[in-house]
Amino acid sequence: MSASETPESQPQQEQTTHFGFKQVDKNQKVNMVKDVFQSVAAKYDIMNDLMSLGIHRLWKRYTIDCSGVRAGHKVLDLAGGTGDLTAKFSRIVGESGQVILADINDAMLKVGRDKLRDKGIVGNVEYVQANAEELPFPDNTFDIITIAFGLRNVTDKDKALASMYRVLKPGGRLLVLEFSKPSNEILNKVYDTYSFHLLPKIGQLVANDADSYQYLAESIRMHPEQEVLKGMMENVGFEQTTYHNLTGGIVALHRGFKF
Amino acid sequence: MPLPQLVTSGIELALNKVLLLDPDSQGRLRKLSGRSLQVKVNELPWPLMFSFSSQIDVRIASQDPQDTIADCLIELNLETLPKLKDSSQLTQLIQQKKLNLIGDIYVAQTFSSLMKDLDIDWEEQLAKYTGDVVAHQTFSSTKTLFKKAKFNLEQTAEKLAENLRQPNSVSITQNEMILFSEDVNDLRSHTERLAARIARLEQTAQIKAEQNQTKGSAK
Repeated sequence: MSASETPESQPQQEQTTHFGFKQVDKNQKVNMVKDVFQSVAAKYDIMNDLMSLGIHRLWKRYTIDCSGVRAGHKVLDLAGGTGDLTAKFSRIVGESGQVILADINDAMLKVGRDKLRDKGIVGNVEYVQANAEELPFPDNTFDIITIAFGLRNVTDKDKALASMYRVLKPGGRLLVLEFSKPSNEILNKVYDTYSFHLLPKIGQLVANDADSYQYLAESIRMHPEQEVLKGMMENVGFEQTTYHNLTGGIVALHRGFKF
Repeated sequence: MPLPQLVTSGIELALNKVLLLDPDSQGRLRKLSGRSLQVKVNELPWPLMFSFSSQIDVRIASQDPQDTIADCLIELNLETLPKLKDSSQLTQLIQQKKLNLIGDIYVAQTFSSLMKDLDIDWEEQLAKYTGDVVAHQTFSSTKTLFKKAKFNLEQTAEKLAENLRQPNSVSITQNEMILFSEDVNDLRSHTERLAARIARLEQTAQIKAEQNQTKGSAK
């Protein structure tokens, strides 16, 4: 679906979208995702460490290494959640740069803001509650946009990618860090077992919420795999689009430029 | 697992932990705030980028030259790395072509000083966990132990040297060595003089033989 088409012009089946393995009305998904993150916000960081055994920190480091960020850059950390990427970007861009931590979910944004302020990260960071599909920024604003573990929760991914393309400066780059499809079949099966059997149990134990982590596992399976996402980025105008599998493809970093 | 990021994560953690142990380091770090230093050690597979703010962030520097705009870039071999501790040596290392530096030398010098001037009170650090009394006693005992060990080591070395210099030993004193060297030098001079004398005699004998030959043929 192109970004210009309205929902009214779509056939009935395109009025729905997936929420994990369920088909739901497109208008409902935003609120359903909001409920998930409202529920997990407080335990988000500890759950990330537990679920990935801390490796998510290295995936995020790799994203920053590939961002080409330097002092003076303007960075949008979209679906930035609790601000892991923002913290590092803020120190690197310095006083002459700026980082905007944006998230659709106010609970996540509040946790992120409190965490960063407690760490003394203030001055060059702004917090914006924003929908990735309709970013409230002028055209050609950012040198770098990152969206880490957020795109799969967006209802209309094409529209979100187009919106990111619009607000990116010419010469700027988008980095999408997201769960993907393991390249090895054995790893894929192990990963499946872990995701659908162990993950909800950890969620129940630590965050007292098995359903949200069941959704997490399902949403990962429903997310477009590496080549498909690369094609989606190219369709909205990104150039020199590449991806790099991390930890056997459990996660992939897609990178595209706007020229 | 992304190994390079694991390495930079470890370096970053270690550097910042060490800096926190010296309360004065923050003031020195502030001089570098907003600056960046890229270090390429030839033996390592990835160049490192150090960004300075209220802490040091360590990243893998991109291979793309457009992405790596650091205030200062240094390239060196692993063996030269420890010499960077002394910032006054930087110019000398550049002249000796052991260090390639592009950009602002001040960044490299300040970083070098920052690390060299670290003054960590280890006793105080231990006291945070064990209390002042235990920390003080531990350090006093350790210092005494070190002193004793050093003294014993020096004495053993002295005794060993003395034993080696005894009449039946395999070693000689420094004076004996000097005398032996002088004897060798004398012998060399005598030999050279003798060789010169033999050469002169041979030359004289050859000239006389030639003269006799000439006379015989004239008759």
